[in-house]
This record gives sequence, C-alpha cells and structure tokens, in this order.
Amino acid sequence: MKRGLIVDDATVMRMRLRDILQTRYEVVGEAENGQKAVELYGNLKPDFVTMDITMAEMNGMDALKSLIAKFPDAKIVMVSAMGQKAMVFEALGQGARDFIIKPFEPDRVLMAIDRLFE
Amino acid sequence: MKVEFANPFVQAAVQTFQKEIGVRLSRKDLKLKDSPVPSQAISIIIGVTGAVRGQVVLSLDENVAMAVTKAMLPGKLPVELKKLVNSAVSELANIITGQASILLAGDQGKIDITPPAIIMGPGLRMDFLDMQTICLTFLSEIGSLELNIALTEGQL
Repeated sequence: MKRGLIVDDATVMRMRLRDILQTRYEVVGEAENGQKAVELYGNLKPDFVTMDITMAEMNGMDALKSLIAKFPDAKIVMVSAMGQKAMVFEALGQGARDFIIKPFEPDRVLMAIDRLFE
Repeated sequence: MKVEFANPFVQAAVQTFQKEIGVRLSRKDLKLKDSPVPSQAISIIIGVTGAVRGQVVLSLDENVAMAVTKAMLPGKLPVELKKLVNSAVSELANIITGQASILLAGDQGKIDITPPAIIMGPGLRMDFLDMQTICLTFLSEIGSLELNIALTEGQL
C-alpha cells in the first residue's frame, strides 16, 4: 500500500484528508507547517504528499520548492484554498503534480492520488 | 473601498457553505461601517496582501460554530467536536477568503492571505484597522454569519 504524508495547518483538514485517503492508502504522517513537512519527508520517505499553502513557519509553496530541490521525484499534490491562476501555475511549474482547490469533493482527492501511481 | 469587493465574498461564502457544510446560505444585509469590528462571539481574522490588501473578519456565534464543525467532521462525538471548533471555523474562513481571492485576482493578479487568527468571548476589546468596511450578513438553517471586508487595492 502506498504511503502518504498530509501537510495542513488545520487539524480539521488533516482529519478529513486522513479519513478520505485511508480508504485506499496508508497515512504515515501529518505536519502542520512546511518546515515540519520537510523534516518528516526525510525521515518517512512517503510515496506522496498532500500540501496546503497558507501555513505559518514555512508555507506550502516554499516547502514544495525545498522538497523538490532535495527529492526531485517527490510526488506532491497541492490542496489549498489559494487556487488563483498565478498560484496554480507557480506550483505546477515548481514540480507539484496536481492542484486541488478547497472546498473539494473526496473523489477529487482520491483521483489525484490514484493518478500519481498509474 | 469598492463595493464590488462584496460580490466575490458573497459567492465564495455561499459556495463554501454548500460544498463544505451542505447548507444553503442566503445574503441578508449589506452595510458600510468604519472598521471591521465583528459583532458575534467568535471571530476569525485573516490578513490580505498583494493586488488587494486589508483584513477580512468572519464572525459567528457558538451554535453556528458547532454546527459547522459537526458538518465538516461527520461521525465524530460531541466531546471530540468541541476541541475542534477553532480549527473548523478557521478553516472555513480560510476557504471563503481563498475562494474570494481567486475571483478578485482574476487571470493575472496575485493575492496572498495570512493564516487565520481567532478571537473569542464577549467583552473582548480589540483595535481593528481604521478602514471603511463592507459588513455582509447571511442567514441559514444553522444560524447567521457575518463577514467584514476591509479591503483596498494596492498599498494600505
């Protein structure tokens, strides 16, 4: 079973994503900011990451850049309310595999993760 | 302050409530005031920078906050939900402001928002931006919601 890391500053969103993902995947860790996500990624080596953008400490865009610089094959899917065109293009240009705009349907999340491993 | 800032927030609030909470939200009132001081017991403040700048303050009472939390986390026990109210209403404000900023930014613009800060309890005194504010109120089957929008284009 593929292993995922959830990154979001809101406990509620981490719980919702965990509930959705656990139907098909193993959630091996959660981080509430980008800094912690980078640390956990190195330790856990997950198969995929869901990444929020607006977070304290280190935001999701900086965490994305940092992770891709260290682990170019990292499979990162952005999950954020900040779905402005400029942000979506920036994230995809920096190596994010997909961009899910909140509010989302559970199926949209599963579809995005499934596609990473096709 | 441009009154045109109101519509993206109305759309964002209605859409977010429909998708996240499964509740139909209808706009009750729009008025102008001198600052985004909220009127309900729980308020969430989000800063906005970039093409549009200022502050957005979402305000609601405990019952609505609990109903929002319950809808976001179906199947959780009331004792668990109580601990998650802050997180749920903060995320609600984040999503509404994020959705509105998509509409405000258009194809070219870029707008950034801060993580939400939450304040609670009546009798709490706080100074807010001294800035003309659009105060939107909404009604729904779970109660009312207030959205204070103190935004301007460019530098504050």
